[in-house]
Amino acid sequence: MNRNFLFPMVSAFLLILGTGVPSMAGEPTEQIKQTTDKILSILADPNLKNPARAEERKQSVRRTIDGRFDWEELARRSLAQYWAQRTPDEKEEFIQLYRELLARTYLNKVQDYSGETVRYEGENIESDYATVKVRILTAKNTEISVDYRVMKRRSNWLVYDISIEGVSLVNNYRSQFNSILQKSTYEELVKKLKEKSLTEKP
Amino acid sequence: MRINSGSPIWIALWLIAFPSLSAAQAIVQFYPNEVSRVDSQFETGVSEPAFENIEKPSTWVAAATPEPQGPEWKADDAEFETSEVNIPDPFEPLNRISFQFNDKLYFWLLKPVAVGYKAVVSQEYRVCFRNFFENLIAPVRVVNCALQGKFKGAGYETVRFFINTTLGFFGFFDQGKDKFNIDKCDEDFGQTLGFWGMKPVFYLEWPVLGSSSLRDTIGFVGDLALDPRTYIFRPIVSVVRPIEIVNDVSLRIGQYEDLKEAAIDPYVAKRDAYHQYRNNKIME
Repeated sequence: MNRNFLFPMVSAFLLILGTGVPSMAGEPTEQIKQTTDKILSILADPNLKNPARAEERKQSVRRTIDGRFDWEELARRSLAQYWAQRTPDEKEEFIQLYRELLARTYLNKVQDYSGETVRYEGENIESDYATVKVRILTAKNTEISVDYRVMKRRSNWLVYDISIEGVSLVNNYRSQFNSILQKSTYEELVKKLKEKSLTEKP
Repeated sequence: MRINSGSPIWIALWLIAFPSLSAAQAIVQFYPNEVSRVDSQFETGVSEPAFENIEKPSTWVAAATPEPQGPEWKADDAEFETSEVNIPDPFEPLNRISFQFNDKLYFWLLKPVAVGYKAVVSQEYRVCFRNFFENLIAPVRVVNCALQGKFKGAGYETVRFFINTTLGFFGFFDQGKDKFNIDKCDEDFGQTLGFWGMKPVFYLEWPVLGSSSLRDTIGFVGDLALDPRTYIFRPIVSVVRPIEIVNDVSLRIGQYEDLKEAAIDPYVAKRDAYHQYRNNKIME
């Protein structure tokens, strides 16, 4: 019935791309923008556009994104009450699988960048937590609002959730994990994650 | 997704026949917990930017950050909750059947047709058609803005409707937004009910129509009364309606695929995305 909710909840990483001058550039916004510009420069690099170096280009983007995300925090929030029941090894494995799933799904999206423009709309800071508000204008003339939830780790603001049109990535995965864990076991969840993130795509 | 708005009776029948089985019971049993939102203040505080140390080694692992272990998750930790928790889904088995049906409908019918249509009609035209259909249901937005006390929004929508219908050539161009910078006040009756405190009650996945809730289904039927298409000669609607749907799908190819690709359980992912999206719309 309501058509747009599917919209870009998955194009998250694509959204880090784009240009725009932060209007009230606080530290969190500056850092998000810095990552954005870095990815853009990788994508624009003529040397890396050679198909032979496609993998290198992908890895380079991935490294840049990796440095901006707090994967442990993402994993912890997504597993929520089930996180505490896991052993350190299980936690480590889960973080890696979850990260792999997100990276795989989204890295392909980065290649689809087609001139969306980004407006930095401001930020909320509450001690070590902040929200960076962004608005993306697509070629199809629709506007998408995106919130980056970031937290301060030493001098870096790291992303622990992305919310697109009010749909939080972490909440979305949490409800999926919850639903699986209520009906079956943690082992089953890990199996499903592995199927999704480790099998080679056609 | 509105399908045949020429037949509100058909939808009303679905509504009565399908979920009323134990609706009352479900309302009592599955009343969702409310989780308060934290309103954080807006700050523009700027400290010195730290551009160094941004890159982390490629083999970054959690252990590389010698941070103290974060606090374990607590249900009452407001920081974690940005939306109300899961939507009740007492009809999950039935909903999953509809979900499968809609999935096939999309991949076997809607998508192939939309891909062909997309190849023939350029994006500019498709955006214009979408504008036209959106302009047509301006009465729905005006009334629902007003019902929520958003009189400024209702006024803007009225003005936008007149500008788009005249200067925008029957709504094909969104002049109100492009030239006069009048923002849309996108409200429907489901949101109005939510605004006045009604919960979604439970999730519903309708065949053809897609994601909804009991509240939004009531809202959908209510909005039909304000939809000009309800009153237009049926045969015309039956011809134009499929074009509208195909046009709409052609502008969104890939979104559903993306959702499925990223999800561990696509049904739950869609249900939750719908729930969060509607909550956010109501709070706007």
